[in-house]
Amino acid sequence: MRIYRALLVAQFQSMMQYRLQMFLYVFFSFIRPIIFLAAWSAVAASQGGRIGSFDEPAFAAYFVTLTLVTHITMAWNSFEFEYQVRQGQLSPLLLRPLHPIHYAIATNVVWKLFTSVAVVAVAIFLAVTFHARFDTQPWHIALGIPSVLLGGALYFTFDYALATVAFWTTRVHAATTLYNRIAFIFAGQIAPLSLLPGPLQTIAYILPFGYMLGVPADILRGGPSFEQAVMLVAGQVVWLVIALVLFRVVWRAGLRAYSAVGA
Amino acid sequence: MSELVVDVRALRKVYRVTEREEGLRATLRSVFRRRYRDVEAVSGIDFQIASGEVVGFLGPNGAGKTTTLKMLSGLLFPTSGEARVLGRIPFRREHDFLRQITLLMGNRTQLVWDIPAQDSFRVIQVIYAIPEDRYRATLAQLTELLELAPLLSKPVRNLSLGERMKVEFAAGLIHSPRIAFLDEPTLGLDVSMQVRIRQFVAEYNKRTGATILLTSHYMDDVVALCKRVLVIHHGKLLYDGDLSALAGRMAPYKLVRLTLRGTANGVALDGYGEVTERDGQRVTIRIPRDSAAERTGRLVRDLEPQLADISVEDPPIEEVIDRVFTSERSTLEPVLTAR
Repeated sequence: MRIYRALLVAQFQSMMQYRLQMFLYVFFSFIRPIIFLAAWSAVAASQGGRIGSFDEPAFAAYFVTLTLVTHITMAWNSFEFEYQVRQGQLSPLLLRPLHPIHYAIATNVVWKLFTSVAVVAVAIFLAVTFHARFDTQPWHIALGIPSVLLGGALYFTFDYALATVAFWTTRVHAATTLYNRIAFIFAGQIAPLSLLPGPLQTIAYILPFGYMLGVPADILRGGPSFEQAVMLVAGQVVWLVIALVLFRVVWRAGLRAYSAVGA
Repeated sequence: MSELVVDVRALRKVYRVTEREEGLRATLRSVFRRRYRDVEAVSGIDFQIASGEVVGFLGPNGAGKTTTLKMLSGLLFPTSGEARVLGRIPFRREHDFLRQITLLMGNRTQLVWDIPAQDSFRVIQVIYAIPEDRYRATLAQLTELLELAPLLSKPVRNLSLGERMKVEFAAGLIHSPRIAFLDEPTLGLDVSMQVRIRQFVAEYNKRTGATILLTSHYMDDVVALCKRVLVIHHGKLLYDGDLSALAGRMAPYKLVRLTLRGTANGVALDGYGEVTERDGQRVTIRIPRDSAAERTGRLVRDLEPQLADISVEDPPIEEVIDRVFTSERSTLEPVLTAR
């Protein structure tokens, strides 16, 4: 815990140097939900105000919670990690008595804390402007909070495992782009998972991506029933266990490969 | 004999590198079928270092120095052979082991770029679990030795290269490691800063008794710091012994560089030594070490009116080692076996 406090403080100080970047990030976090929200509202309106179980205020609620959840769970370490490997910055970190993953976690957490006020403001703005209606019960919150944390852990672990591709090639960008494209379709960013057409929906509930974003967002807006929500959270736990095992295996193999080319 | 802290036996490291011919066709082919070539960076070396020694690791670029240091610090897994440092296998990188070593690379940074060094030091303190009183004492000592006081509160990115190197040293040593691996610590620094870093390393070793293994391709670094040197070339250990014996054995000559005045174009210089370079007014002569003083003196007296400038230098270490490796290898064998 002491280590984390120190890492967080250092990260915070470092981040203070990048205020403009932060402003841009918050600005862009507006754009995507607004586009999809506007599009789905238009589609819903043309179909008598409703698609599946979603009417316009429900869409608004989903994209509001999705904006918050995306902010909380997102990870971008694959980009940083490739840079660290390429620039030789990883080697000194490997020689400290602390796993490099902790620096990444600290960066991640600080960035989120730092931008959270602005993102909450964005969410409130969206909720008011688009007349969001939340069907959230107290138990939705009780399950939703662990669900968001699980989603964050899942997102981070997958991203960090993906980042270790940098141990084998310096072209991580191609891998992350592919990964992000697939994730974009199946994570619930375009539409709530329950609205995806038949086979796509099945795939979406099997793949891990929905458990990072769409699932916690839908629970928080009060979408699923209690039984459904418990099943979804259980799905998150299963994927997290898989992700952690995967990460351990890839990390060890990666370090060997890194060693083979000269670290 | 004091405690053995580094024990290296038949240590080898082979890198696997991808190979590709020129041209589009070769590029396309390599997408499907990669060709690999094995490069032997370190080929079976043995040496031992006792606690408190300062040992210089000499060799040209690509000789295997950095690879060896990386194996000793735990970044690289040896292809074969064994390295033990403080009785541990480095590649396991046990935290208890990592707390006792440091690897400083002249061209790498371990400080957070955007914040002052003192804040980075605090992070390091917590990571290494350094008690507050020991942290303060060590920092005070490093601050004094390296004259860090004015640098600690500036963001690292605003420091000059030399200043940053001093701060890197402090960052790498603040946990008081028992062994320090220093890889090209004076790389890119100006001469006065090189001297400062050398003084620091010598003083640090004296005060703390830490073992230091240092690579450099500046002969001066090694001369100033190390009684004992290891010479490595093409991955093989050529020499392990006293520096004093090495200088005479490996570089039995000095280089005299002259700048002559315009009128002296045809002047004969062969009588003073072997002319190795002649480029207009600039001339380099190789003179045997034991008669260097006498011959240089004679040269100055004889040529004085035409002489614009003169300097006497040790030959660059790369040249020396290369020369030794290609032409005089047999003379080194007795030294290797003598130790």
